Amino acid sequence: MPVVRIPTPLRPHAGGLDRIEAAGATVGEILNQVTAEHPALRERLFDGEELRRFVNVYVNNEDIRYLDDLATPVAASDEVSIIPAVAGG
Amino acid sequence: MSVESQSLDRYSRQIRFPQLGEEGQRALLRSRVALCGCGALGTVLANHLARAGVGSIRVIDRDFIETHNLQRQILFDEQDVAENLPKAEAAARKMRAINSSITVEPVVTDLDHTNILDLVSDADLILDGTDNFETRYLINDAAVKLGKPWIYGGVIGSEGQTMTILPGETPCLRCLIETAPPPGMTPTCETAGVLGPAVAVIASFEAIEAIKLLSGHREALNKDLIMVDLWDWTFRQLKIANLLGKVDCPCCGRKNFEWLDGSMGSHTTTLCGRNAVQVAARRPEPLDFADMARRLTPLGEVRHNAFMLRFAAEGHEFTVFPDGRAIIKGTNDISKARSLYAQYVGS
Repeated sequence: MPVVRIPTPLRPHAGGLDRIEAAGATVGEILNQVTAEHPALRERLFDGEELRRFVNVYVNNEDIRYLDDLATPVAASDEVSIIPAVAGG
Repeated sequence: MSVESQSLDRYSRQIRFPQLGEEGQRALLRSRVALCGCGALGTVLANHLARAGVGSIRVIDRDFIETHNLQRQILFDEQDVAENLPKAEAAARKMRAINSSITVEPVVTDLDHTNILDLVSDADLILDGTDNFETRYLINDAAVKLGKPWIYGGVIGSEGQTMTILPGETPCLRCLIETAPPPGMTPTCETAGVLGPAVAVIASFEAIEAIKLLSGHREALNKDLIMVDLWDWTFRQLKIANLLGKVDCPCCGRKNFEWLDGSMGSHTTTLCGRNAVQVAARRPEPLDFADMARRLTPLGEVRHNAFMLRFAAEGHEFTVFPDGRAIIKGTNDISKARSLYAQYVGS
Protein backbone atom coordinates (compact mmCIF):
# COMPACT_ATOMS: atom_id res chain seq x y z
CA MET A 1 0.00 0.00 0.00
CA PRO A 2 1.28 3.54 -0.68
CA VAL A 3 2.64 5.42 2.31
CA VAL A 4 2.00 9.07 3.11
CA ARG A 5 4.84 10.81 4.94
CA ILE A 6 3.63 13.37 7.44
CA PRO A 7 6.02 16.25 8.17
CA THR A 8 6.86 17.12 11.77
CA PRO A 9 4.62 20.21 12.06
CA LEU A 10 1.55 18.23 10.93
CA ARG A 11 2.08 15.17 13.12
CA PRO A 12 0.06 16.60 16.04
CA HIS A 13 -2.90 16.66 13.61
CA ALA A 14 -2.28 13.08 12.49
CA GLY A 15 -2.27 11.26 15.80
CA GLY A 16 1.48 11.79 16.13
CA LEU A 17 2.18 9.49 13.17
CA ASP A 18 5.04 10.16 10.77
CA ARG A 19 3.86 7.67 8.13
CA ILE A 20 0.35 6.54 7.29
CA GLU A 21 -0.54 3.75 4.89
CA ALA A 22 -3.51 4.50 2.68
CA ALA A 23 -5.25 2.74 -0.17
CA GLY A 24 -5.94 4.62 -3.38
CA ALA A 25 -4.91 4.89 -6.99
CA THR A 26 -4.33 8.66 -7.08
CA VAL A 27 -2.89 11.30 -4.79
CA GLY A 28 -6.40 12.71 -4.28
CA GLU A 29 -7.88 9.34 -3.24
CA ILE A 30 -5.04 8.69 -0.86
CA LEU A 31 -5.17 12.10 0.78
CA ASN A 32 -8.97 11.83 1.06
CA GLN A 33 -8.58 8.56 2.92
CA VAL A 34 -5.87 9.88 5.24
CA THR A 35 -7.81 13.05 6.04
CA ALA A 36 -11.00 11.04 6.61
CA GLU A 37 -9.10 9.16 9.33
CA HIS A 38 -7.51 12.38 10.62
CA PRO A 39 -10.02 15.21 10.11
CA ALA A 40 -7.77 17.81 11.78
CA LEU A 41 -5.32 17.25 8.95
CA ARG A 42 -7.97 18.03 6.35
CA GLU A 43 -8.22 21.66 7.38
CA ARG A 44 -4.46 22.07 7.27
CA LEU A 45 -4.11 20.61 3.77
CA PHE A 46 -7.28 21.51 1.92
CA ASP A 47 -9.36 24.56 1.20
CA GLY A 48 -12.57 22.86 0.03
CA GLU A 49 -11.51 20.29 -2.55
CA GLU A 50 -8.28 22.11 -3.46
CA LEU A 51 -4.92 21.81 -1.79
CA ARG A 52 -3.97 24.96 0.06
CA ARG A 53 -1.51 27.04 -1.91
CA PHE A 54 1.28 26.68 0.62
CA VAL A 55 0.96 22.88 0.75
CA ASN A 56 3.14 20.98 -1.70
CA VAL A 57 2.72 17.28 -2.37
CA TYR A 58 5.27 14.98 -3.94
CA VAL A 59 5.03 11.45 -5.26
CA ASN A 60 8.43 10.03 -4.49
CA ASN A 61 10.61 13.01 -5.44
CA GLU A 62 8.32 14.60 -8.05
CA ASP A 63 6.04 17.59 -7.46
CA ILE A 64 2.44 16.69 -8.41
CA ARG A 65 1.94 20.16 -9.95
CA TYR A 66 3.96 19.15 -12.98
CA LEU A 67 2.49 15.66 -12.99
CA ASP A 68 -1.30 15.52 -12.80
CA ASP A 69 -2.03 17.30 -9.51
CA LEU A 70 -4.46 15.37 -7.33
CA ALA A 71 -5.15 12.97 -10.24
CA THR A 72 -1.49 11.88 -10.29
CA PRO A 73 -1.46 8.07 -10.20
CA VAL A 74 0.17 6.36 -7.25
CA ALA A 75 1.52 2.80 -7.27
CA ALA A 76 1.55 0.52 -4.23
CA SER A 77 5.27 1.03 -3.78
CA ASP A 78 5.10 4.84 -4.04
CA GLU A 79 5.55 7.31 -1.27
CA VAL A 80 3.43 10.46 -1.05
CA SER A 81 5.05 13.34 0.87
CA ILE A 82 3.53 16.51 2.19
CA ILE A 83 6.26 19.13 2.10
CA PRO A 84 5.82 22.04 4.48
CA ALA A 85 7.19 25.53 4.01
CA VAL A 86 10.10 26.03 6.40
CA ALA A 87 10.23 29.58 7.66
CA GLY A 88 12.83 29.73 10.40
CA GLY A 89 16.45 30.63 10.26
CA MET B 1 56.67 37.34 -2.22
CA SER B 2 54.45 39.89 -3.91
CA VAL B 3 51.66 41.52 -1.97
CA GLU B 4 49.13 39.68 -4.07
CA SER B 5 50.62 36.23 -3.55
CA GLN B 6 50.83 36.94 0.18
CA SER B 7 47.18 37.85 0.17
CA LEU B 8 46.26 34.67 -1.67
CA ASP B 9 48.37 32.49 0.63
CA ARG B 10 45.73 32.50 3.34
CA TYR B 11 43.39 30.76 0.88
CA SER B 12 45.95 28.11 -0.16
CA ARG B 13 43.95 25.17 1.16
CA GLN B 14 40.88 26.00 -0.87
CA ILE B 15 42.92 27.07 -3.91
CA ARG B 16 44.35 23.53 -3.90
CA PHE B 17 40.84 22.23 -4.42
CA PRO B 18 41.17 21.87 -8.21
CA GLN B 19 37.68 23.00 -9.20
CA LEU B 20 38.26 26.30 -7.43
CA GLY B 21 41.94 26.99 -8.05
CA GLU B 22 43.58 30.39 -8.12
CA GLU B 23 41.25 31.67 -10.80
CA GLY B 24 38.21 30.77 -8.72
CA GLN B 25 39.75 32.41 -5.68
CA ARG B 26 40.36 35.64 -7.58
CA ALA B 27 36.74 35.56 -8.72
CA LEU B 28 35.60 35.21 -5.09
CA LEU B 29 37.75 38.17 -4.10
CA ARG B 30 36.12 40.28 -6.82
CA SER B 31 32.60 39.26 -5.75
CA ARG B 32 29.95 41.22 -3.90
CA VAL B 33 27.30 39.54 -1.78
CA ALA B 34 24.24 40.94 -0.01
CA LEU B 35 23.55 38.86 3.09
CA CYS B 36 19.96 39.44 4.16
CA GLY B 37 19.53 38.59 7.82
CA CYS B 38 22.29 37.80 10.25
CA GLY B 39 20.83 35.43 12.80
CA ALA B 40 21.48 31.71 12.89
CA LEU B 41 21.72 31.09 9.13
CA GLY B 42 23.31 34.49 8.56
CA THR B 43 26.17 34.14 11.04
CA VAL B 44 27.18 30.76 9.63
CA LEU B 45 27.02 32.22 6.11
CA ALA B 46 28.98 35.31 7.13
CA ASN B 47 31.62 33.16 8.77
CA HIS B 48 32.08 30.95 5.70
CA LEU B 49 32.10 33.81 3.22
CA ALA B 50 34.55 35.96 5.19
CA ARG B 51 36.96 33.07 5.62
CA ALA B 52 36.62 32.01 1.97
CA GLY B 53 37.56 35.50 0.83
CA VAL B 54 34.36 36.81 -0.74
CA GLY B 55 35.66 40.31 -1.37
CA SER B 56 32.72 42.45 -0.40
CA ILE B 57 29.92 41.46 1.96
CA ARG B 58 27.00 43.67 2.96
CA VAL B 59 25.38 42.37 6.14
CA ILE B 60 21.78 43.56 6.54
CA ASP B 61 19.91 42.86 9.78
CA ARG B 62 17.25 44.68 11.80
CA ASP B 63 17.77 43.06 15.17
CA PHE B 64 20.01 43.18 18.23
CA ILE B 65 21.67 40.28 20.03
CA GLU B 66 20.03 38.52 22.94
CA THR B 67 21.42 35.79 25.15
CA HIS B 68 19.10 33.14 23.69
CA ASN B 69 20.71 33.75 20.27
CA LEU B 70 24.10 32.48 21.44
CA GLN B 71 23.07 28.81 21.29
CA ARG B 72 23.28 28.89 17.48
CA GLN B 73 24.36 32.30 16.16
CA ILE B 74 28.02 31.49 15.90
CA LEU B 75 29.61 34.91 15.44
CA PHE B 76 28.18 36.38 18.65
CA ASP B 77 29.27 36.16 22.29
CA GLU B 78 28.24 37.37 25.74
CA GLN B 79 30.23 40.58 25.36
CA ASP B 80 28.14 41.53 22.31
CA VAL B 81 24.99 41.07 24.38
CA ALA B 82 26.43 43.17 27.21
CA GLU B 83 27.31 45.93 24.73
CA ASN B 84 23.79 45.90 23.20
CA LEU B 85 25.24 45.54 19.73
CA PRO B 86 23.05 45.14 16.67
CA LYS B 87 23.68 41.85 14.89
CA ALA B 88 24.97 43.43 11.68
CA GLU B 89 27.54 45.52 13.54
CA ALA B 90 28.74 42.69 15.81
CA ALA B 91 28.99 40.33 12.82
CA ALA B 92 30.99 42.89 10.84
CA ARG B 93 33.47 43.27 13.72
CA LYS B 94 34.02 39.50 13.88
CA MET B 95 34.28 39.16 10.11
CA ARG B 96 36.92 41.91 9.94
CA ALA B 97 38.83 40.21 12.74
CA ILE B 98 38.67 36.92 10.80
CA ASN B 99 39.69 38.48 7.50
CA SER B 100 40.91 42.07 7.39
CA SER B 101 41.47 41.95 3.62
CA ILE B 102 37.79 41.90 2.68
CA THR B 103 35.22 44.69 2.83
CA VAL B 104 32.32 44.23 5.23
CA GLU B 105 29.48 46.72 5.31
CA PRO B 106 27.01 46.36 8.17
CA VAL B 107 23.55 47.83 7.59
CA VAL B 108 21.20 47.96 10.57
CA THR B 109 17.80 48.25 8.97
CA ASP B 110 14.58 46.42 8.30
CA LEU B 111 14.77 45.23 4.71
CA ASP B 112 11.59 46.44 3.00
CA HIS B 113 10.27 47.43 -0.41
CA THR B 114 11.63 50.97 -0.07
CA ASN B 115 15.25 50.00 0.48
CA ILE B 116 15.85 46.53 -0.93
CA LEU B 117 16.81 47.59 -4.46
CA ASP B 118 19.39 50.03 -3.08
CA LEU B 119 20.84 47.31 -0.87
CA VAL B 120 21.03 44.42 -3.34
CA SER B 121 21.38 45.94 -6.83
CA ASP B 122 25.19 46.01 -6.77
CA ALA B 123 25.51 42.45 -5.46
CA ASP B 124 26.43 39.42 -7.57
CA LEU B 125 24.39 37.21 -5.27
CA ILE B 126 21.76 37.58 -2.55
CA LEU B 127 21.88 35.17 0.36
CA ASP B 128 18.97 34.30 2.62
CA GLY B 129 19.73 34.49 6.31
CA THR B 130 16.20 35.58 7.20
CA ASP B 131 13.65 33.90 9.44
CA ASN B 132 10.37 34.78 7.76
CA PHE B 133 8.56 34.40 4.44
CA GLU B 134 7.61 38.03 4.13
CA THR B 135 11.25 39.05 3.70
CA ARG B 136 11.99 36.04 1.49
CA TYR B 137 9.19 36.96 -0.93
CA LEU B 138 10.56 40.49 -1.01
CA ILE B 139 14.04 39.15 -1.80
CA ASN B 140 12.52 36.85 -4.42
CA ASP B 141 10.75 39.78 -6.10
CA ALA B 142 13.91 41.90 -6.11
CA ALA B 143 16.07 39.04 -7.37
CA VAL B 144 13.68 38.15 -10.20
CA LYS B 145 13.23 41.79 -11.20
CA LEU B 146 17.00 42.33 -11.25
CA GLY B 147 17.76 38.91 -12.76
CA LYS B 148 20.04 38.21 -9.83
CA PRO B 149 20.67 34.80 -8.26
CA TRP B 150 19.66 34.15 -4.68
CA ILE B 151 19.80 31.18 -2.36
CA TYR B 152 16.91 30.27 -0.06
CA GLY B 153 17.45 28.48 3.23
CA GLY B 154 14.98 27.75 6.02
CA VAL B 155 15.30 25.77 9.24
CA ILE B 156 13.02 24.62 12.04
CA GLY B 157 13.73 22.11 14.79
CA SER B 158 16.15 19.58 13.35
CA GLU B 159 15.11 20.04 9.72
CA GLY B 160 15.83 22.44 6.95
CA GLN B 161 15.41 23.20 3.26
CA THR B 162 17.45 25.03 0.67
CA MET B 163 17.19 25.83 -3.02
CA THR B 164 19.27 27.89 -5.40
CA ILE B 165 17.32 30.34 -7.54
CA LEU B 166 18.60 31.57 -10.89
CA PRO B 167 15.79 33.78 -12.24
CA GLY B 168 14.58 32.62 -15.64
CA GLU B 169 16.60 29.40 -15.41
CA THR B 170 15.17 27.72 -12.34
CA PRO B 171 11.87 27.95 -10.45
CA CYS B 172 11.67 30.89 -8.05
CA LEU B 173 10.45 30.76 -4.45
CA ARG B 174 6.89 31.62 -5.50
CA CYS B 175 6.89 28.84 -8.09
CA LEU B 176 7.60 26.53 -5.18
CA ILE B 177 5.44 28.16 -2.50
CA GLU B 178 2.98 30.62 -3.98
CA THR B 179 1.77 32.05 -0.70
CA ALA B 180 3.18 31.82 2.79
CA PRO B 181 1.21 29.94 5.40
CA PRO B 182 -0.83 32.32 7.56
CA PRO B 183 0.63 33.09 11.00
CA GLY B 184 -0.08 30.25 13.37
CA MET B 185 -0.27 27.62 10.60
CA THR B 186 3.44 27.00 10.58
CA PRO B 187 5.85 26.69 13.47
CA THR B 188 8.63 29.20 14.02
CA CYS B 189 11.95 28.78 15.78
CA GLU B 190 10.35 30.52 18.76
CA THR B 191 7.50 28.01 19.01
CA ALA B 192 9.08 24.77 17.77
CA GLY B 193 12.71 25.35 18.71
CA VAL B 194 15.75 24.95 16.52
CA LEU B 195 19.03 23.08 16.81
CA GLY B 196 22.31 24.80 15.99
CA PRO B 197 23.75 21.97 13.87
CA ALA B 198 20.64 21.92 11.66
CA VAL B 199 21.06 25.62 10.93
CA ALA B 200 24.76 25.16 10.32
CA VAL B 201 24.11 22.39 7.78
CA ILE B 202 21.62 24.43 5.76
CA ALA B 203 23.73 27.59 5.92
CA SER B 204 26.75 25.55 4.81
CA PHE B 205 24.77 24.25 1.83
CA GLU B 206 23.96 27.86 0.96
CA ALA B 207 27.61 28.85 1.39
CA ILE B 208 28.99 26.14 -0.88
CA GLU B 209 26.46 27.13 -3.52
CA ALA B 210 27.62 30.73 -3.14
CA ILE B 211 31.24 29.67 -3.61
CA LYS B 212 30.37 27.70 -6.76
CA LEU B 213 28.28 30.48 -8.21
CA LEU B 214 30.70 33.32 -7.45
CA SER B 215 33.68 31.35 -8.74
CA GLY B 216 31.90 30.70 -12.04
CA HIS B 217 30.79 27.11 -11.58
CA ARG B 218 27.09 27.27 -12.34
CA GLU B 219 27.23 23.74 -13.74
CA ALA B 220 27.80 22.41 -10.23
CA LEU B 221 24.82 24.19 -8.63
CA ASN B 222 21.99 22.39 -6.92
CA LYS B 223 18.85 22.16 -9.06
CA ASP B 224 16.62 20.49 -6.47
CA LEU B 225 14.83 21.41 -3.29
CA ILE B 226 17.13 19.89 -0.70
CA MET B 227 15.51 18.76 2.55
CA VAL B 228 17.34 17.36 5.52
CA ASP B 229 16.24 16.20 8.94
CA LEU B 230 19.23 15.67 11.17
CA TRP B 231 17.20 13.98 13.91
CA ASP B 232 15.65 11.35 11.62
CA TRP B 233 18.71 11.18 9.33
CA THR B 234 16.71 11.84 6.22
CA PHE B 235 18.14 13.61 3.21
CA ARG B 236 15.96 14.26 0.18
CA GLN B 237 16.43 15.91 -3.18
CA LEU B 238 13.03 16.86 -4.53
CA LYS B 239 12.85 17.47 -8.27
CA ILE B 240 11.53 20.96 -8.78
CA ALA B 241 13.19 22.01 -12.05
CA ASN B 242 10.03 21.15 -14.04
CA LEU B 243 7.96 23.64 -12.06
CA LEU B 244 9.46 26.46 -14.13
CA GLY B 245 6.85 27.52 -16.65
CA LYS B 246 4.49 24.77 -15.47
CA VAL B 247 2.99 26.71 -12.59
CA ASP B 248 1.38 30.11 -13.16
CA CYS B 249 3.92 31.99 -11.07
CA PRO B 250 2.84 35.52 -10.12
CA CYS B 251 6.48 36.56 -9.72
CA CYS B 252 8.76 35.06 -12.36
CA GLY B 253 5.88 34.20 -14.71
CA ARG B 254 3.56 37.21 -14.60
CA LYS B 255 6.19 39.67 -13.29
CA ASN B 256 3.75 40.78 -10.66
CA PHE B 257 6.10 41.96 -7.90
CA GLU B 258 3.56 42.33 -5.11
CA TRP B 259 6.11 42.42 -2.31
CA LEU B 260 8.48 44.80 -4.07
CA ASP B 261 5.73 47.24 -5.05
CA GLY B 262 4.54 47.35 -1.42
CA SER B 263 1.06 45.93 -2.03
CA MET B 264 2.03 42.90 0.10
CA GLY B 265 3.97 43.05 3.34
CA SER B 266 3.83 45.42 6.23
CA HIS B 267 6.36 47.47 8.08
CA THR B 268 4.73 47.26 11.43
CA THR B 269 4.55 43.63 12.28
CA THR B 270 4.36 41.24 15.19
CA LEU B 271 7.58 39.32 15.66
CA CYS B 272 6.13 35.84 15.64
CA GLY B 273 6.40 33.93 18.88
CA ARG B 274 8.36 36.66 20.63
CA ASN B 275 5.48 38.62 22.13
CA ALA B 276 6.91 41.69 20.47
CA VAL B 277 5.95 44.14 17.74
CA GLN B 278 8.25 45.96 15.39
CA VAL B 279 7.06 49.49 14.67
CA ALA B 280 8.56 50.95 11.54
CA ALA B 281 8.47 54.71 11.30
CA ARG B 282 11.39 55.73 9.17
CA ARG B 283 12.67 59.25 9.76
CA PRO B 284 14.74 61.41 7.43
CA GLU B 285 17.15 62.40 10.24
CA PRO B 286 18.60 59.99 12.80
CA LEU B 287 17.08 60.21 16.28
CA ASP B 288 19.05 62.14 18.88
CA PHE B 289 19.54 59.43 21.52
CA ALA B 290 21.15 61.74 24.08
CA ASP B 291 18.15 64.03 23.93
CA MET B 292 15.70 61.12 24.09
CA ALA B 293 17.54 59.63 27.04
CA ARG B 294 17.22 62.91 28.97
CA ARG B 295 13.53 63.05 28.19
CA LEU B 296 12.88 59.42 29.18
CA THR B 297 15.05 59.26 32.30
CA PRO B 298 12.13 60.05 34.66
CA LEU B 299 10.65 56.66 33.63
CA GLY B 300 13.68 54.73 34.87
CA GLU B 301 16.95 53.53 33.44
CA VAL B 302 17.63 54.47 29.81
CA ARG B 303 20.61 52.84 28.11
CA HIS B 304 21.93 53.81 24.73
CA ASN B 305 24.91 53.44 22.43
CA ALA B 306 25.48 54.51 18.84
CA PHE B 307 23.12 51.81 17.54
CA MET B 308 20.13 51.69 19.87
CA LEU B 309 18.34 53.12 22.85
CA ARG B 310 16.54 50.93 25.36
CA PHE B 311 14.08 51.78 28.13
CA ALA B 312 11.03 50.33 29.83
CA ALA B 313 7.58 51.83 30.26
CA GLU B 314 4.19 50.38 31.26
CA GLY B 315 5.76 46.95 31.55
CA HIS B 316 7.06 47.03 27.97
CA GLU B 317 10.69 47.06 26.89
CA PHE B 318 11.38 49.48 24.04
CA THR B 319 14.41 49.14 21.76
CA VAL B 320 14.67 52.11 19.42
CA PHE B 321 16.99 52.36 16.41
CA PRO B 322 18.41 55.61 14.99
CA ASP B 323 16.17 55.44 11.91
CA GLY B 324 13.06 55.56 14.10
CA ARG B 325 12.25 51.85 14.03
CA ALA B 326 11.42 50.27 17.38
CA ILE B 327 10.86 46.82 18.80
CA ILE B 328 8.36 46.83 21.64
CA LYS B 329 8.31 43.74 23.82
CA GLY B 330 5.40 42.53 25.88
CA THR B 331 2.61 42.76 23.33
CA ASN B 332 1.42 41.16 20.10
CA ASP B 333 -1.12 43.91 19.54
CA ILE B 334 -0.04 46.15 16.66
CA SER B 335 -2.37 49.04 17.45
CA LYS B 336 -1.32 49.00 21.10
CA ALA B 337 2.34 49.01 20.01
CA ARG B 338 1.69 51.93 17.66
CA SER B 339 0.07 53.87 20.45
CA LEU B 340 2.92 53.08 22.87
CA TYR B 341 5.34 54.23 20.19
CA ALA B 342 3.52 57.50 19.66
CA GLN B 343 3.39 58.05 23.39
CA TYR B 344 7.02 57.37 24.29
CA VAL B 345 9.07 57.70 21.12
CA GLY B 346 6.95 60.26 19.33
CA SER B 347 4.98 60.17 16.12
